[in-house]
Amino acid sequence: MNRNLLRLAAALAGAAAVALPAFAGAYPLQVARNVIMYMALAITWDMLLRSGQISFGIAGLFGIGAYAAVLGVLRAGMSPWLSIAFAAAFAGAASFLIGFLILRLRTMYFSIVTLALAEIFRIVIHNLPEFTGGPEGVVLEGVIMKGSASGLYWLTLGGLAVALAASWGFEKSRMHFALTAIRNNETSAKSSGIDIFRWLLVAFVVTSSIQGLLGGIYVQSYGFATPDSVFDANFTLLPLAMALLGGIHSTIGPVLGAILLGLAAEWLKLRIPYGHLVVYGIIIIVVILFMPKGLYGLARKVSGAADRRRA
Amino acid sequence: MTKLKIERLTRCFQGLVALNDVSFSMEEGEILGIIGPNGAGKTTFINLVSGIIMPSSGRIEYKGRDITYAPAHERARLGIARTYQLIHPLENLSLIENVMVGSIFARGNGLKAARRKARDLCAALGLENLGRDTSKLTILEIKKMEIARALANEPEVLLLDEVMAGLNSDETRLLIGMVQSVAKERCLAVGVVEHVMGVIRELTHRVIVLEAGELIAQGPYEEVSKNPRVIEAYLGGAA
Ligand SMILES: Nc1ncnc2c1ncn2[C@@H]1O[C@H](COP(=O)(O)OP(=O)(O)OP(=O)(O)O)[C@@H](O)[C@H]1O
Ligand SMILES: [Mg+2]
Repeated sequence: MNRNLLRLAAALAGAAAVALPAFAGAYPLQVARNVIMYMALAITWDMLLRSGQISFGIAGLFGIGAYAAVLGVLRAGMSPWLSIAFAAAFAGAASFLIGFLILRLRTMYFSIVTLALAEIFRIVIHNLPEFTGGPEGVVLEGVIMKGSASGLYWLTLGGLAVALAASWGFEKSRMHFALTAIRNNETSAKSSGIDIFRWLLVAFVVTSSIQGLLGGIYVQSYGFATPDSVFDANFTLLPLAMALLGGIHSTIGPVLGAILLGLAAEWLKLRIPYGHLVVYGIIIIVVILFMPKGLYGLARKVSGAADRRRA
Repeated sequence: MTKLKIERLTRCFQGLVALNDVSFSMEEGEILGIIGPNGAGKTTFINLVSGIIMPSSGRIEYKGRDITYAPAHERARLGIARTYQLIHPLENLSLIENVMVGSIFARGNGLKAARRKARDLCAALGLENLGRDTSKLTILEIKKMEIARALANEPEVLLLDEVMAGLNSDETRLLIGMVQSVAKERCLAVGVVEHVMGVIRELTHRVIVLEAGELIAQGPYEEVSKNPRVIEAYLGGAA
C-alpha cells in the first residue's frame, strides 16, 4: 500500500541529508552531525536488542573505537582514514573476545556486565598513561579533512549509512529470523536448529564494530580523546532513549527517536543547561511505562485500526 | 531400521529421579506411544532426546551415532524434531515465518526456498492465511503450526508432546489422520505422548509405559492395556 510512499520519503530524506551542507550554516550542521551520530548508535543498540539482549555497553565499545583510532595515529602512524577502519576492526575483535565471555549471560546479568565495560576500559586507559595518555587524554595534531564542516558532516553521515545498511541487512536476512526466534523463545529456537550463541556473537560483533567505527569518526572529528569524554555514559543513555521513544525492534524507530530527541535536547540545552538530561530520564520512564512500542509502534497501531475501520 | 536407541537413560532433578534407567528403541516408520500418569517422565524423555536437557547417565544413539550430549540445535539439524507440551509460538513472527525457521536453520535453506517449503507444508496441513500473527490463530491452527514447525526441520524422528490436548474429538480425529499420513509419507519414527487412550490406540503401533520414571511395560496397546501393572499405575494415579 503506502510502502512505495515510504520508500520515496526515505529517498528524499536521504537526498536532503546528503545535500544539507549546501544550504545549512555551521550551527545547524553541527547539530545535525550530532543527531546523526546518536541515530547511528541508537540503530546499533536496537539491532542487538532484537535478540532480547539489552546492552548498556555502547559507550564502552564507542570509547574503545575512539582510543583505537587516536592511538593508531599517534603510536602506529596510521592515517586518519585508516585509523577509523582500525577503530571498527579493533572494537569488533574486542567484542568477539568479550562476547565469548558474556553472551551466555541473560537479562539483567548481561546488561550489568555490559554496563561495566566502559568502566573497565576507562580504568585500563587511566592506568597505562605512557601508552594511552592517562586521565588527561591525548591530542591529535589535527582534525581529519582539516576540520571542514561539510566534510565532517559527510563523514558522520557515512557512519550512519553503515549502521542503516547493517540494520536493513539484519531485517532482510536470516538474521531477522534468528534474532526474533531467540528473543521470543530460546528453547524452541534451539529445536529449530538455531545455534543461539553463534548468532548472538555475530550480532554483538557487528553492532560493536559499528559502535567502534563511530567512536573513531568522533575522535577524528574532534582531534582529541580523554577517558571521560569518550566513555561518557551519555553515549549509552541517549541512543537507548532515542530507540525507546521512536520504537524498538525496527530501523525506522531509532531514526525517528533520534531526530525528535536530538532536536529537543538541542533546544532544551540552550534554555536549561543539563536540563536535557532530566528530560531524557523522564522520556525513558514514560515510554517504558506507557508506550512500550514507542512512537512507531503507536503509529502502526493507529494506522492498523484505521485500516480495519476502512475495511 | 533403528532410528533411535536409548540405553539406560537416567535423569535426576536434585533428589527426584525423573527418568530411571530406561532403555528402548524407535524404528523407522513406527509410531510409538509414550504413556504414563502425570509426572511419569514423558516430557523429560522428550527433552533428553531433543537435547533441551542433558542426561545424568545413559546413552542416546541416533542412526548409530552417539548424540547423548550433543547440543539441541545440532540434533535438530541431524533430524530430530519435537513439539512442546506448553506451546511456544514465536509471537513476533507470522504463521508462515514460524514454519520457515526450521527450514532455514535446521536445513540451511535460503529464505525463498524456506518460504516455498513452508507454504507447501502449511497447505498439506490445511493451514491458510499464512501472513497472520500467531495471536490470531485458533487452538487447532496453533497445534497444526507446531507440527508444521517441527516438520520444517525435515526430521527422521518426530516427538509430539500432547499435541492433541485441548482439541475436540473432531479436531483430534483430523489431526490423527494428518500425523498418520505424514509419518507414512516421510517414513518417520514418531514418538507420541498423549493422555487420551483413544488417540494412543488409534495412532500407535507400539506403546511404552512410564511410571515414576521407570519403564514398566511395552508392547502393542491392546496387550499393554491389559497389563495389571499398567492398570494399577493408572488407577493409582487417579486415586
Ligand atoms: N526442570 C525440572 N526441575 C525439577 N523437576 C522437574 C523438572 N522437569 C520435570 N521435573 C519433575 O520430573 C518429573 C517428571 O516430569 P515430566 O514433565 O517428565 O512428566 P510428564 O510425564 O511429562 O507429566 P505430564 O503428563 O504431567 O506432562 C515430575 O515429577 C516433575 O516435577
Ligand atoms: Mg509432560
